[in-house]
Amino acid sequence: MSTRLARILTTTFVLAVVLLPIYWLVSTSLKSNREITQEGTLYPHVPTLDNYVRLFTEKQFGSYLTNSLVVTFFSVAIALIVGAMGAYAIARFRLPFAAERKVGLFLLTLRIIPPVVILIPVYLLMLHLGLLDSWLGLIATYTAFNITFCVWMMESFFREIPVDLEEAAMVDGDSRFGAFRRITLPLAAPGLAATAIFAVLVTFNEFLFALALTATPRAMTMPRGTATLIGRIDTDWASMSAAGVIGALPIVFFALLVQRHLVRGLTMGAVK
Amino acid sequence: MQSGMQARKYRLQGAGLDLALPYLMLAPGLLIVLGVLIYPLWDGLRASTRAYRYGSPISNVGLQNYLHLWSDAQFLNSLWVTVKFVALSVSFEAVLGFALALFCLHEFRGIRLLRTVLIIPMVVTPVVVAIVFRLIYASDAGMLTALSAAMGGGAVQILGNPLNAFIGLVVLDVWEWTPLMFLILLAGLQSLPHEPFEAARVDGAGAWRVFADLTFPMMRPVLAVAIVLRTIDAFGTFDQVFVLTRGGPGEATRLISIYGYDTAFKFQQTGYAAALFVTIGLVVLALAFSAIRLLRRIDAS
Repeated sequence: MSTRLARILTTTFVLAVVLLPIYWLVSTSLKSNREITQEGTLYPHVPTLDNYVRLFTEKQFGSYLTNSLVVTFFSVAIALIVGAMGAYAIARFRLPFAAERKVGLFLLTLRIIPPVVILIPVYLLMLHLGLLDSWLGLIATYTAFNITFCVWMMESFFREIPVDLEEAAMVDGDSRFGAFRRITLPLAAPGLAATAIFAVLVTFNEFLFALALTATPRAMTMPRGTATLIGRIDTDWASMSAAGVIGALPIVFFALLVQRHLVRGLTMGAVK
Repeated sequence: MQSGMQARKYRLQGAGLDLALPYLMLAPGLLIVLGVLIYPLWDGLRASTRAYRYGSPISNVGLQNYLHLWSDAQFLNSLWVTVKFVALSVSFEAVLGFALALFCLHEFRGIRLLRTVLIIPMVVTPVVVAIVFRLIYASDAGMLTALSAAMGGGAVQILGNPLNAFIGLVVLDVWEWTPLMFLILLAGLQSLPHEPFEAARVDGAGAWRVFADLTFPMMRPVLAVAIVLRTIDAFGTFDQVFVLTRGGPGEATRLISIYGYDTAFKFQQTGYAAALFVTIGLVVLALAFSAIRLLRRIDAS
């Protein structure tokens, strides 16, 4: 009985710690600025959706959302296709001088370096190429970052699939690439999904490079657009909280939808 | 046997186009990485040996930028703040995450809800996490002030006070990342073999003995990996600080990434900032490689 009580208490406590901050964000977003700063209410006494309407009519959150979706889609899709091929080559072929293993290690090393380290040169590169404040500049940057961990994650998924299956397909007349496309790739689908989900999460949430590489609603992503509401001396709490809700909603919804794959992707590597 | 091996090898390596296949499959990814990551990395190294004015290089200064770092009080302070931040946050996350994972190891009602809810903090956009905590800490509109008012108290000052702001940042990080620690450690706990624990139960070992003699030693590798991963990640923390405090008040929460960003984009000292970032990169790599070595030792023993 006492164990049960302890469990209920602990569970309630953890739920409260996680959810109270979220509650406060959502609750603030439904109040007027006057209610927020002058009345200090614990829940919206006069709930309003004005803050949300303002985001889309006055503050271009429609563009931010479009930019985020386009940039995330392309950089994850390209990284997955290119990464899957690279990962397969590393997992299956033995090249001279163990080149395939060196490439794998090299990509992993790149993954370890904090992205902020190459912020300046990437900014200069995009400046010279005229790709500042464009979808293409962001897509190129995110694709490269995604490749470094997509290859690494997918390689281990390919290793789990027996070579015999491909050999059988090749005996039946498939080419090597055909065997990869028709046999191995479908079998590795759950692993690819976990990789894709992780990549979507990281890309959609990225802020640092979006901050340096974009400057107008033409290319600003959701996190970047949300941050523009901050930093003025007079803080517009109502817009800021509504922006927080809109900024996080798509990705939280997505994460809860694919929860199982997500947990696999987040914990993999650490346990092996 | 020999000819069988030969045939197998032939089938695997194929002929003609198939021989070039591994290179063709590796090439696109490597080209993109080369263009967008390696070239900038090299360019950054080059920039770190130059002095800039208005964004253009004006002279070569050799290693002077690097040497200057170590007499720059602001750099040393940001390094110290970063080390404090990483050490405190990751320790709390490891302890809380481990405790929570042990707690959730047994199935009970409500555990699925708990696991689902725990995913939220780490998937919410970091910028939004910072907004959430600004809304909690703000002295006029914050949750803490509202709660304090409801209980008859006055405004709560968090972000205006150096120590409180730093603690507030650590609390944010612990809120955001304890769930990841929890998930990794739970997966680790679930993959432990059952036999030793059953034997211990038969022997009548108490809960603490089981933890100290079995669970903890067996979990050490997973725990070490989780801590290393989080440490490396925490070193590069930027978004949350940028939105929560912008490094202030004063330099109380100015992590090294924020200082580097300001040096480059606010003060336009491109070369100096590049040297700073190269140094951070080297520190993190050194950290990672010594951690890997340590892990191998743990594995071997």
